[in-house]
Amino acid sequence: MPSGCSPVRCLCLLLALSALTPSAQAADDGRDPIVVKDPHYGEVLFYFYQEDYFPAIVRVLAAKERQQLDDHADDAELLLGGMYLSYGHHLEAAEIFERLLADNVAPDIRDRTWFFLAKIWYQRGYLDRSKEALGFIQSELPKNMQREALMLEAQILIDDGEYDTAIEKLQRWEGETEWASYAKFNIGVALVRLGRIDEAARLLDELGNLDPFNEELTSLRDKANLALGYALLQDGQALAAKEPLQRIRLEGPFSNKALLGVGWADAESESYERALVPWMELQGRDLLDPAVQESMLAIPYALAKLDSISQAADHYLNAIEAFYEETSRLDRTIQRIESGEFFDEFIQDDPLDSTGWYWHLEELPEGPEARYLFHLLAKHEFHEGLKNYRDLSYLYRNLDRWQQNVDVYANMLETRKEAYNERLPRVQDALARADLEGMVNRKLEYDSTLNNIEESNDWLALATKSEFEMWGEITGLESTPALQADIIEAEEVADKIKLLKGVLQWDLERDFRERLWRVRRDLRQTGEALVETQRLRRQIDESMRLELLKFEELNGRVSGLAPRIEGTKMRLEDALSKQRVFLQSIAIGELRAQKQRLDRYTIQARFALAAIYDIAATVGEVSE
Amino acid sequence: MTNKLISLLLAAIFTFATAALAEPAAPMDAASAMADAVSAEAAESASRQEFRSLDQDVQSLKKEVLDLNRDLFLLEEELLFPANSQVAFFISMDVGEYFDLDSVSLKIDGKEVANYLYTARETDALIRGGVHRLHMANLKTGDHELIAIFSGKGPHVRDYRRGATLSFDKGIGAKYVELEITDRVKKQQPEFVIREWE
Repeated sequence: MPSGCSPVRCLCLLLALSALTPSAQAADDGRDPIVVKDPHYGEVLFYFYQEDYFPAIVRVLAAKERQQLDDHADDAELLLGGMYLSYGHHLEAAEIFERLLADNVAPDIRDRTWFFLAKIWYQRGYLDRSKEALGFIQSELPKNMQREALMLEAQILIDDGEYDTAIEKLQRWEGETEWASYAKFNIGVALVRLGRIDEAARLLDELGNLDPFNEELTSLRDKANLALGYALLQDGQALAAKEPLQRIRLEGPFSNKALLGVGWADAESESYERALVPWMELQGRDLLDPAVQESMLAIPYALAKLDSISQAADHYLNAIEAFYEETSRLDRTIQRIESGEFFDEFIQDDPLDSTGWYWHLEELPEGPEARYLFHLLAKHEFHEGLKNYRDLSYLYRNLDRWQQNVDVYANMLETRKEAYNERLPRVQDALARADLEGMVNRKLEYDSTLNNIEESNDWLALATKSEFEMWGEITGLESTPALQADIIEAEEVADKIKLLKGVLQWDLERDFRERLWRVRRDLRQTGEALVETQRLRRQIDESMRLELLKFEELNGRVSGLAPRIEGTKMRLEDALSKQRVFLQSIAIGELRAQKQRLDRYTIQARFALAAIYDIAATVGEVSE
Repeated sequence: MTNKLISLLLAAIFTFATAALAEPAAPMDAASAMADAVSAEAAESASRQEFRSLDQDVQSLKKEVLDLNRDLFLLEEELLFPANSQVAFFISMDVGEYFDLDSVSLKIDGKEVANYLYTARETDALIRGGVHRLHMANLKTGDHELIAIFSGKGPHVRDYRRGATLSFDKGIGAKYVELEITDRVKKQQPEFVIREWE
């Protein structure tokens, strides 16, 4: 399949372009940058751009729960869908897309998203969903995607065994592109499966002669030549089969099978000496390849035909020994995989720094099973299963860390509660001492008194202490009996007292309004302070009431989360175990099949060797 | 023997060329290539079904763990940084042409609370529009002073170190402070702006 970005990478890019327009990117393509209106959304992007999808998703979910993404609600939802996909959470992603893509996104982006989803689902084995997603595409996709979508559709038909319909679809192919070559190959293979060899041969021969411009097409050309060569061999056209087989590269992935086929084409024509040339070339190659294994039997077969009986016997003995050694290695590997050690070590060695679809095994783990794993990884379900196994381990470790934190939170809450309970009596005591109600009553009394003073124009009531004392002295002097004496001095003193009293009264009456205003202002400020104090008091009362509720609420959440973590961990353990069993069954099934084949070859070799010994014995007896 | 072997290999060769099926497959038993091909297809279909069933379990577990993480994330924040005392400090960046960020150091009321060294990947995420939550703190209501020191490479790839200060009032309720690095094109210099969010 022509290379390009992986479906998920392409989709994320697509979504990044549609949902987000980062400033730098926007500046490049001349669009107005979207201003991040909410730091929480920006925080999500911070992780998204680093391809740390798990923390990014958690932050989107948390911000959504707190309604902190109102300014970016649609973008965030689409981004979440893209990140779910990147994280390998394709079913949840699809739900978002189904909900959002209907009317919130431009038709071309919507159609491309369905196309990528179809690809992803096909890769994950959800053929029905893949077919459904292709059905959602309403308008014309760009040409390259259109071809790929047609290819995908045909592939789904082929998987369903509808070869004729697939051929019909692929024959409507337009244009000469890499995809056309793939389409031709698939048509050719479908025709072979239908027994229409001649039609298939024409197509495959055309492909087998193409001039490739990249490694993928070179590989496809080899594959077409191999398919054609073996189809002709099976059809009894041994000589015709040689030409396509000889077009295959000597060092490519199909060279072993090609060399074996060329040998058989020569053997069919009874040119055993010529057959030995390609078969001997296979001798030094990896014994894991069935073609190499077959060659170990084919060589002595040809030698026997050439009457080199003793050499044939030697080769059969070599083959038996090589098959035995390989079988022993297979046994050890099967045992190791069965024990579960292999997968445990694989996960332990893996840093788990990324999850989801992007992950690919970059380095095979060391050990004797690595060579078998390489072949197993080529199996789609095994590779995808390994990804799931790895993701499950990541989730398990994630919850393991949270479990420890939750224990700490429970302790923290308990400690806080104890500290609160210890301080509470002191606070309550201090609050009880503060007679707020009495203060309010006193303030109201003052208000009333002041009103009376104002109504009665009681200027003396607002005199200062010294003025009041002075007033008392003056009025006291006024009533002194001596002043009643009928003497001139008494009259003079009485006049002075009257004057003093008049001055004082005049002063007090003059200042009365201002004093009244000041007292009123002070009283009003006191009233305001009292209101604020009452508000604070209510707040303290509310805080004390809420604090208890908050403790209860947090305690409930902590104690509710602990069993959820425990329960999910148990389910994860169960899923890990099932996934391991699944991977084991694929790996062991594959290895056992190899072992059975080797056993069968060993029996064939022993049988052939026994026949050679019989012939040798018979020849010996005759010559005696 | 020849025909048997050819049949065996044919089954292996006739796999279709798509991304999903482009890998070389192992040959099947040789008694009857077509019969074996059919049974292999059946086995493959069963394996695919089993994979799908397990994958659905994995999908549901992923959802469950993500929901749990969301709840735990919220709980952790509420426990460690209650809303009435919470202050969060964010770093954001505009194009970043005149400043290549290395690190940011934060002081609140004279006390150093954070000193963060940025990786190239993080800086890139900032330039593309990401916002980094550098620090979370619990602060009493009232006035506070923030000092941020930005270090990195300035214009002409010279070492560059600049500070920015902000006096802010912490009221009741969470407060968010954003420290933004922008390019001032006219002066060809970076600019450090502090914004408050409520």
